Amino acid sequence: MNKISSKKIVVVATLALGCFAVLSSGIVAESSQSVIRFGAPLPLTGGLSPEGKKMQNGLDLWAEVANKAGGIKVGDQRYRVEVVYYDYQTSTPRAVQLAERLITEEKVNFLFSPLGSGATKAASGLSEKYGIPTIAHSASSEEVYDQGYKYLFGNFTPNQTLTDPLSDIVKEKLPNAKKVAILARNDLFPLAIANCMDASAKKRGFDVVFFEKYAIGTMDHASALTQIRAAKPDWIFATGYINDLILIRKQMGDLRCSAPVVTMIAGPAYKEFVDACGPLAENVSSASWWHPAVRYKGEDVFGFTQNYVKMFKEKYGHIPDYAQASASACGVIFQLAIERAGTLDRKKVCDTLASMEVMTFWGPIKFGSTGQIISLKPPVFQIQGGTQVVIHPPEVQQSELRIGVK
Amino acid sequence: MLILQILVNGLVLGGLYACIAAGFSLVWGVLNIINILYGSFIIIGSYVAYFTYNYLGIHPFLSVTIAAVVLFVFGYLIQAGIINRVVAAPVLTTLTLTFGLELLLNNSLLVAFTADYRKVILENPLGILDMGGIIVPLDKLATMALALLLTGLLYWVLNASRIGRGIVAVRMDREAAALMGVKVKQIYAITFGLGAVMAGVAGSVMSVIFPISPLNNIVFLSKAFVICVLGGLGSVTGAMVGGLTLGVIESFGGLIFGPEHAMTLSFILLILLLIFRPTGIMGKKGYE
Repeated sequence: MNKISSKKIVVVATLALGCFAVLSSGIVAESSQSVIRFGAPLPLTGGLSPEGKKMQNGLDLWAEVANKAGGIKVGDQRYRVEVVYYDYQTSTPRAVQLAERLITEEKVNFLFSPLGSGATKAASGLSEKYGIPTIAHSASSEEVYDQGYKYLFGNFTPNQTLTDPLSDIVKEKLPNAKKVAILARNDLFPLAIANCMDASAKKRGFDVVFFEKYAIGTMDHASALTQIRAAKPDWIFATGYINDLILIRKQMGDLRCSAPVVTMIAGPAYKEFVDACGPLAENVSSASWWHPAVRYKGEDVFGFTQNYVKMFKEKYGHIPDYAQASASACGVIFQLAIERAGTLDRKKVCDTLASMEVMTFWGPIKFGSTGQIISLKPPVFQIQGGTQVVIHPPEVQQSELRIGVK
Repeated sequence: MLILQILVNGLVLGGLYACIAAGFSLVWGVLNIINILYGSFIIIGSYVAYFTYNYLGIHPFLSVTIAAVVLFVFGYLIQAGIINRVVAAPVLTTLTLTFGLELLLNNSLLVAFTADYRKVILENPLGILDMGGIIVPLDKLATMALALLLTGLLYWVLNASRIGRGIVAVRMDREAAALMGVKVKQIYAITFGLGAVMAGVAGSVMSVIFPISPLNNIVFLSKAFVICVLGGLGSVTGAMVGGLTLGVIESFGGLIFGPEHAMTLSFILLILLLIFRPTGIMGKKGYE
């Protein structure tokens, strides 16, 4: 009996040692590979947490795919990607503090911006102060990029690249339409795009019969919607973040406030908007900077757009929206810039970003003199049959604009 | 027609506000405690409605009973176990205590439920009442009616029940009430529990209208503050008058000054009332 027990012990111990050796060699191998650290301050809790988590999903996917492919190639060496997240709880002052902590204490090599134009602008001074290349995954307002900063780059084209095509389409489909009503969240991006909408509409001969702002945190829009209903607009344009727009759409339904065309930015791009609004989401139009229907063949780790969509779906169980794709795109842009620069020197990477022209799954990447991307053609889409369907540009058009919203 | 619609919007909203503030006013007026936990109590009531509807199929208008029981027990225990130790202290002490408890409670809610917004989406929406062009969503109307009914029930309990008269007696004169055989500490706990019940009930009925998130605690608390100052402290009638007044003012304020200033207007009103009529519209001090 003792002999058998001893044998068993030896076998088990050998197996255990073997497993330990395999595991630890993996750990050692992993830790012996150098790491490039990217800082990502995000609102993982708070009012913008739905958007913040989308960014995290996008960045995690890119990091995983890049590491599986061997990491980022810098000269002859391969570096593992590590994204360091800090949750700033949807507080912009905290976003700035934590961005600085990522730079000074976590000593990240490069930085992704906080979420949205407002927080990006607030933290943008740090990029310049510390000379750390920063890519903004969710800032479109030109006010972010007109500060003369050299280290800040942005993945979204200016707001009028959304409002101009929208206005052209509505003008073409509804030539007799005259009146536009605009309701905007009093926040940097939503107000900026509402102002662009105002300008785009007026340039095309529309009358803006209503243009008001609502405070952040507003829970009852009845007063504004009643006034909009009384103005009998042909086109209602509302801006905000997903929670605002779900509430506005529902309260529009409650008060029978509608128009032949209803456009909302940026909620309808998300599946959550369609799920929450149900039949009220039908025929709501919107625009964004990317759509899964686009077809690009990129030089990045994802390659084709369809491949990115497939990999995202495999990891998360649903197709990506533009927010998630933008975060992944910022990752691949950094990777391509670092590989082309052949160094981790921040100034050289920054110069490479500034002069780079490259195709990715997100689209063609070329930054203008302000650091904002100038090469994209943002798609306009509409919710038809519960799905976001592209109606512009012609290259990826899937349907025509439908008139009439419940 | 526009003015009438704005007025109706304001009255419907005001009815909801009245329910929000009734419990807060009761606790402040009777116990002299500014209950900073109040906003989170409302949120808990909303979550009770949300989860019982989505997992048990219980309509939020029925789950008010569950919310009432849950919040009463919770409120009673907090008062009996913690706040009663400092109830005789200056109001700043109890305010600081409830502030600290609120930090604990709200962050616990954030950890448990995250900050993501949820909403009760009724399978069979109630529809809309069209009164010759004046539109009233029926879910808002029903919510308002239920809220006012429950507020009226509170008023009846406080005036017609033994416990209610005990609460009034303690507010009028604590020592005299004790001498008359009223168990003061128990009355305090029951009062706080009743305040929590009103918060939970308000949260439960409003879950069909407003989004649910721990982040909304400050919105509800600030509304309750303004309404109490508007209507008069410690008075259920005052909470009703204050709520209706605030709803109408915000509605017309949005029309005249723009929707972005509706909240600012309510705080300007708060300041003016504190300067010129600190006892509020009803003009009564304390609870009667």
